[in-house]
Amino acid sequence: MSVVTELRKTAKGAKAAPSRRGLRNGDGKAAAVFLLPWFLGLGLITIGPMIASGYLSFTDYNLLQPPQWTGLENYTRLFEDPRLLNSLRVTFTYVFTAVPLQLLAALALALILDRGLKGLPFYRSVLYLPSLLGGSVAVAILWRQVFGIDGLVNQFLALFGIQGKGWVSDPETALWTLVLLHIWTFGAPMIIFLAGLRQIPEMYYEAAAIDGAGVVRKFRSITLPLLTPIIFFNLVLQVIGAFQSFTQAFVVSGGTGGPADSTMFYTLYLYQKGFTAFDMGYASAMAWLLVLIVAVMTLINFFASKFWVFYDD
Amino acid sequence: MTEVHVRTTPTDATPSSSSAQRISALADEAPPVRYRSPWPDRRRAALKHLGLIALCALMLYPLVWLLVSSFKPTDLIFRDVSLIPSEVDWTNYSEGWNALQYPFSRYLMNSAIIVLGSLLGNLVACSMAAYAFARLEFRGRKLWFAVMLMSIMLPIHVIIVPQYILFAKLDWINTFLPLIVPKLLATDAFFIFLMVQFFRGIPRELDEAARLDGCGHGRIYLRIMLPLSLPALATTAIFTFIWTWNDFFSQLIFLVRPDMYTAPVALRTFLDSTGASSWGPMFAMSIVSLIPVFLAFLFGQKYLVKGIATTGIK
Amino acid sequence: MRRPRSSVRAGALLAIAALALTACAGSTDEPAAEPTSSGPPEPVEIRFSWWGSDTRHELTQQVLDKFTEKYPHITVVPDYTDWNSYFDKLGTSVAGGDAPDVITQEERFLNDYASRGVLADLNELGLDTSKIDENVLQSGTIDDALYGVATGVNAYSIIADPAAFAAAGVEMPDDTTWTWEDYVDIANEISAKTGGTIYGAQDYGFNEPGFSIFARQRGESLYTEDHKLGYDDKTLADWWQYSLDLQAGGGEPDAAKTVEVDAGGPEQSLVGTGTGAMSWFWTNQLTAITNASGKELKLLRVPGESEEKRTGMYFKPAMYYSVSAKSEHPEEAALLVDFLLNDPAAGEILLSDRGLPANTDVRAAVQDKFSPTDKQAAEFLADLEDEIVDGPPVPPVGAGQVAEITRRINQEVLFGRLSPADAAKQYTLEVEAAIGG
Repeated sequence: MSVVTELRKTAKGAKAAPSRRGLRNGDGKAAAVFLLPWFLGLGLITIGPMIASGYLSFTDYNLLQPPQWTGLENYTRLFEDPRLLNSLRVTFTYVFTAVPLQLLAALALALILDRGLKGLPFYRSVLYLPSLLGGSVAVAILWRQVFGIDGLVNQFLALFGIQGKGWVSDPETALWTLVLLHIWTFGAPMIIFLAGLRQIPEMYYEAAAIDGAGVVRKFRSITLPLLTPIIFFNLVLQVIGAFQSFTQAFVVSGGTGGPADSTMFYTLYLYQKGFTAFDMGYASAMAWLLVLIVAVMTLINFFASKFWVFYDD
Repeated sequence: MTEVHVRTTPTDATPSSSSAQRISALADEAPPVRYRSPWPDRRRAALKHLGLIALCALMLYPLVWLLVSSFKPTDLIFRDVSLIPSEVDWTNYSEGWNALQYPFSRYLMNSAIIVLGSLLGNLVACSMAAYAFARLEFRGRKLWFAVMLMSIMLPIHVIIVPQYILFAKLDWINTFLPLIVPKLLATDAFFIFLMVQFFRGIPRELDEAARLDGCGHGRIYLRIMLPLSLPALATTAIFTFIWTWNDFFSQLIFLVRPDMYTAPVALRTFLDSTGASSWGPMFAMSIVSLIPVFLAFLFGQKYLVKGIATTGIK
Repeated sequence: MRRPRSSVRAGALLAIAALALTACAGSTDEPAAEPTSSGPPEPVEIRFSWWGSDTRHELTQQVLDKFTEKYPHITVVPDYTDWNSYFDKLGTSVAGGDAPDVITQEERFLNDYASRGVLADLNELGLDTSKIDENVLQSGTIDDALYGVATGVNAYSIIADPAAFAAAGVEMPDDTTWTWEDYVDIANEISAKTGGTIYGAQDYGFNEPGFSIFARQRGESLYTEDHKLGYDDKTLADWWQYSLDLQAGGGEPDAAKTVEVDAGGPEQSLVGTGTGAMSWFWTNQLTAITNASGKELKLLRVPGESEEKRTGMYFKPAMYYSVSAKSEHPEEAALLVDFLLNDPAAGEILLSDRGLPANTDVRAAVQDKFSPTDKQAAEFLADLEDEIVDGPPVPPVGAGQVAEITRRINQEVLFGRLSPADAAKQYTLEVEAAIGG
């Protein structure tokens, strides 16, 4: 990693350059202009409903009648709800397995699909295709067929004399099929990695090539460090996204989080509370607990990033 | 674009050559190991192809299944799960296209309108915000950045009701406005953050040089940042297209009349889990509505690979 | 920085406005629309929401066209989606003070909406219900107000595949006398004799109407008139014990397979895919399952109808037509409900799409036009007419959650994680919490 340290030093040296400070004068005004649409969106569209949901979390609100203030009741109920605890367990398991595995798959394929082979655009398109399907109902049916008792997976296992089981419908394995489904749709982070690879200036590689650096060394000294901001981005957003996983579990389990609550993700439970049990106040309290959890995870990510993410600015 | 080439190339030479020198200096210190493949390149490439083709087959299986099913009569879809259809039956397509109150093209058009509005919004508004967060120094930057990230941490299901009330007050229900205006106002923090990360990857020396040449922030943003982050913009465009096209829940809630329904909302109206569903037509129309997204991806991919490497900066 | 700050303030103001809005979402608007006594009627637009698949959408649109022919001044805006999304959309639009004028309702949610002032009393709106069976009317009546009128009726029954029985060499049972033991034995025998290629029965435990019938046979009930639970935990445990007996005897698939089949809905049920002899479904699902199986199927009474204290089967409203209490045009909305319910022109188009027509005159008039499977269902229901004692009361507020509770705890039982007795205890606890809160 010594090259990285060097690069980092270069970057730090550049930062200290006097011209940089001069550039920052009067940025406030420019920032106001550039951020104008975002501020408008925040004020007009984002903040209102956010505050409203915060308020609703302190009320008994059944959607159909005006909310009634109940103070902290929803929040105290959170701690007495065994199914909520279970949904947290399911969600954490999912986040800590599906996110890293999917990112690894996406990164590996992005590296393979970046350059140096004929027909790459074709492969990229084909490998991205599953991600196009997203949360379509067709995916649900399909997943149940692939991992069903007479499904493709078991037919394959039977070739080796292994007796399979109903992977989706067994509470022990249902969650893992969803983890697989998540990995299978690695298209989005893969595309972002690909774009990130394209952003690395060719000159670094050329310089390294002149010095006779091999593939592995180029990867470790140039590609990986310069890609860290993108890896970081993917990590942060995938973690935020995975905590809110809903669609895939919803369609695969038919909205039940079953079998026996084994795929009951946090947001799925929240949704059931809000829309089926008409307990939107409780659902809002759940949502803010989730914000707290995700914010802490994100903060940890940002803090840790200081030790491994390298910015070229 | 040509302007960028002329402007940047000379200034660019200074920092890059210095890092290059450092790298080469370091490389000199490193042991002279050469990584050489034991196989000739051609054979290695062939192996790679083989692996990729196998992977493609695995990834494609579901889609092939979907495609094959769309040619089967509904009552055969679940009874006969083989991948080779006994006969190719187009009726699902003709039926699906006309089964609903409006021809399916209507729903595709509605989806397209929302997608176009969202594309415009995300590309312009999010990149502007990203420029501010990546390059401008202003008070409360970190705080606002945190607020931005927080705005995507709340699950949609608790936001949708207050949003509905807000949009109902504005009389926007059953229009495309609740689905487009937020995008025009950069509410999709995912893309802001994405572009911030890419902008930060562009060497600062470039905009400094431009700055010395008398460029304002507007010009730096337009003439340097945007052209140099083509991959990021392409990524944003691709994702905006696909995610907006597939977004079901908010479209379901905000669009009331069938003449405003979008493709995913219309697709659901083929199904009835309590009775008879039209699986065949639903699959057929699923395939039809996949075509625009796939084309969008193919088109966007061209720009995805036009990184810094090909925009004149080396 | 001035700009950002002020926009924050604007945001806060807006949020407060949103809150105020939320607060008034439930309050009543003026029930407007005085009937115009003279002159041409003002053009009026009303919205009608329902769930279903494309066939229903098409039929309903035809009916709406007929309605507009009859009442040219009323435009009906359709608002439809599939079952899974319907109540999300409905709940949100009611919260936003923007409910449809005519709302299709379902048994489990009727009380939720009615008791919270969302639905209007149809009697007050002067709806003509003279041709509708008293029992059926009762199924939409809560505290003497008619909040929903049944679109049509179904019965929960067993759909059996005679070909599967024949393949196993087992005789079809006499469904007027068979007991629960018979049911278990027959199912086990079919599985055994076909070597497991055809299962005797599909597990019934995922749907609480099945238990409702079971409890009624013993003189108990799932819910009581005063919105409480009306069964003994022992009864519920017995109900699950039969499932376990079937599982142990091979009469029904193992737990994982059961869950898989259940998730597939009617088309992928055991009978629907030709891999089972008996499945529990509503009579109006006969058509879908017959089409999926490609075979002629038969409707059977559930077991135990003559075994215990009384019969348990009942007519269930397929769905209800309701009118929003906040509709700006309640008269016109009621007119539409009347047309859907009582006009032979509507009945001729809808046939049995929303259950066997509730209006007996309409039913008699259109019965001949039914498809063969619908005729089969109609005849089956007609046979039951004399046996059915009464209908269960409208499920209490919170009953919408019971479907999920039933399915989940049933899975716990099938996977052997809870004994029937423990499951019954937990079920009672959870359902009490759901309907009490």
